[in-house]
Amino acid sequence: MTQTLKALGQLAVLWLVYWCCDWFVTFTGLPVPATVLGVIVLFLLLVSGIVKLHHVQDAADLLLKHLVFFFIPVAVGLMEWGGVFYEHGLILLAAILVSTIVPVIAVGLATQRMQRRRG
Amino acid sequence: MAPHLGQGGTTLLCIAITVPAYILVRSLYLRYKHPLLNVVALGAAVIITALVVLGIPYKDYVPAKDIMTVLLGPATVGLAVPLYRYRQLLTRNGAAILGSVALGSFLAMMLAAFLTKLGGLPSEVVMSILPKSVSIPFAVEIAKIYHGVPPLAAAFVVATGTTGSLLGGWLLNLARVSDPMARGLAFGTVSHGQGTATALMEGEQQGAMAGLAMILSGIFTAGFAPIVVWLLEFVPAI
Repeated sequence: MTQTLKALGQLAVLWLVYWCCDWFVTFTGLPVPATVLGVIVLFLLLVSGIVKLHHVQDAADLLLKHLVFFFIPVAVGLMEWGGVFYEHGLILLAAILVSTIVPVIAVGLATQRMQRRRG
Repeated sequence: MAPHLGQGGTTLLCIAITVPAYILVRSLYLRYKHPLLNVVALGAAVIITALVVLGIPYKDYVPAKDIMTVLLGPATVGLAVPLYRYRQLLTRNGAAILGSVALGSFLAMMLAAFLTKLGGLPSEVVMSILPKSVSIPFAVEIAKIYHGVPPLAAAFVVATGTTGSLLGGWLLNLARVSDPMARGLAFGTVSHGQGTATALMEGEQQGAMAGLAMILSGIFTAGFAPIVVWLLEFVPAI
């Protein structure tokens, strides 16, 4: 019971940070996602010690464990765009595949090489 | 089939399809741990099939989607927690992280725009695919500046996120990238939040680095966009 209450309290902290950032972004019209700003703000709050890990970590760990879940309904939205993908299918498929495959490998290898060199 | 349920019933049905699909696909992934058993791609495929079979159009799925993604914002903010736990990694590898993510962001944008322009697609499609590797709000703003179509830009973001999540782990295995930091950065640079969620399923360090890469690639993409748009002028359309 206390565990649940604690997790809910922590969720409220995460929500508050997100909500403030969302409000700030809407208010200023800044072309930055509220979530991205939220990660930066919470990180700075943790570094400065204003928010401690035990204020947020149980709720954060639980939500992150299931973060993929939230993207499933988002990906279902692709069914709306079948037409565009059908019309320009081959080129779009090639463009998306090549521009995904090359950078994934480039970033992976570049980071790994630079790390090994520091050794 | 669905019409007699009304919107409330349809929404409940959509949730009743999505949650078990997630549980099923997740347990499959956890049992076999194969990177191609991607939870987002496979889950969405199962649900789209079910919706088509039941005759439920996407617009009737939207209310269910809105309910189920209400925690996405706070959950993403929670990425600060693993990032904070691995903060020493950031200070020690700052240059490698910035360099790799900058390279990846530039390549992702350049290759997508170059190929679609070369393929003769209309300019508004080219400008909509340009920011496909960053989170939707970033992508929509960048697409708008260059006269792309925001909903199409959002669709490309989701398509890239799904492709990168699906192929990323397998590609990194092929290229023998085993370092968790390198794997996480690759996922986050190319496939934003979806890639980050996938990286988290591999491990916490991968997830922390993917979250960081997601933020950085959003900033780099916005910064590089004018350069890529300028370079595109030299690309002929076939």
